[in-house]
Amino acid sequence: METRVFDVSMLWQSLPALLEYLDVTLLVGISSICLGSLLGGLLAYGKLSRNPAGRYIAHGYTYIMRCTPSIVLLFIVFYGLPQLAEALFDWEIDDWHRGIFAVITFTLLFGAYISEVFRAAYEAVDKGQYEAAVSIGLSPWQSVWQVMLPQAAVIALPNFGNAVINLLKEGALAYTIGLIDLIGKGNLIIAQNFGAYGLEIYLACMLVYWVMTLAIEQGFNKLENYLAKG
Amino acid sequence: MELDWEFMEETLPKVWAGAGVTMELTLLSLLLALPIGFYLAVIRLHGCKTLQGIVRSYVSFVRGTPIVLQILLLYSLLPSVLNVLVQAMGWQINIFEAVDPFWYAVVVFTINTVALLAEVFRSALNSIPRGQMEAGLAIGLSSLQVYLRVIIPQAMVVAMPSICNITVNLVKGTSLAFLMTVKDIMAIGKIAASFGYNYLEAYIDVFFVYLVLCTIIQIFYHLVEGRIGAFRGKRA
Repeated sequence: METRVFDVSMLWQSLPALLEYLDVTLLVGISSICLGSLLGGLLAYGKLSRNPAGRYIAHGYTYIMRCTPSIVLLFIVFYGLPQLAEALFDWEIDDWHRGIFAVITFTLLFGAYISEVFRAAYEAVDKGQYEAAVSIGLSPWQSVWQVMLPQAAVIALPNFGNAVINLLKEGALAYTIGLIDLIGKGNLIIAQNFGAYGLEIYLACMLVYWVMTLAIEQGFNKLENYLAKG
Repeated sequence: MELDWEFMEETLPKVWAGAGVTMELTLLSLLLALPIGFYLAVIRLHGCKTLQGIVRSYVSFVRGTPIVLQILLLYSLLPSVLNVLVQAMGWQINIFEAVDPFWYAVVVFTINTVALLAEVFRSALNSIPRGQMEAGLAIGLSSLQVYLRVIIPQAMVVAMPSICNITVNLVKGTSLAFLMTVKDIMAIGKIAASFGYNYLEAYIDVFFVYLVLCTIIQIFYHLVEGRIGAFRGKRA
């Protein structure tokens, strides 16, 4: 078999075409992070509540999600959700954009991860803060919103950053259900070249991800330092 | 929505049979990665500047890129490289048939796990106060003895929860080995799914098997943690 030498110029040439689809990757990632944070907040609320049913559901959900490979969940959502929607509401969602299924999947996953981060951060804030806030006449809601949560947010920040990076990396799986994102486009380019340049294209994708991760890491570090000043 | 229960019942044992391959892949990668990861952690703490830089870039690159890309890259790279090597040696082996893709998967997941473990070991070793080493040396142990008998046993307890996490994530990560045509849980599920278009049912089976595996692993680590952390006494 003839072995072709690694072609660095192909790597650079493919970058602009790949970067054009970075917005799809980012859009899926960012929407999942926003929606997932809402779900995570809800789950954390359930875990911290006095209601045993809420606690069991929230903990059980987190446990199950922790044990599910993202690709399995992605396939279950992609194949199962249309069936479920049709059976329950008679909706036809087969032709929904694939990005929507990806967002739903990663929202479910991110919600579970981030609920643990939120819970731990909230518990790390001294209970005395709440009591002090109530004793100077704030309502319980005000104490939570204006005293507890801002402090918890600072504590949660490093882990939140980690979770964001992990989610973006897992988002790379979206191409397996046929979403044309960064990697999906990469596979298209490889297919256009009849299977050649696999190494160069995949390496280009990896570079994009690496730069993205490093940038996010730096961003969170800066934010942390800024907020640590109080 | 009608789930095909009969199909699910039939498929579950088949999918469960793939758990062996998944666990082999996980354990082998983990066992290979443990010593290398530990060595890299020691380099990060005590090595020369150049080596430290290399290890740091390696860890950062592996942790900064999706594992699915690492799989795709290495799966298109490794066979050709091996082929060139074998031909250079003048052996008459067809690498593309002789090597089970399982071994490529082991390489990929080992490379990945090494980077994660190096970080865990580094922070675990860092968490042991310097005084432990000084005290050990003061009573006449060699620095290797101090490492083996004083520092590592304590660092292991610190590292255990993270190693448990890494193992669980590794089991989940091996679900991507089907991209390298390894016949693990996911691959068997996928084949069963496309055979009769019973996608949902097959993947629910797969999901269930992973749930059981992860539960077993977490119980196992919980027991190990209790055992090796016994010196710390009973904790609330």
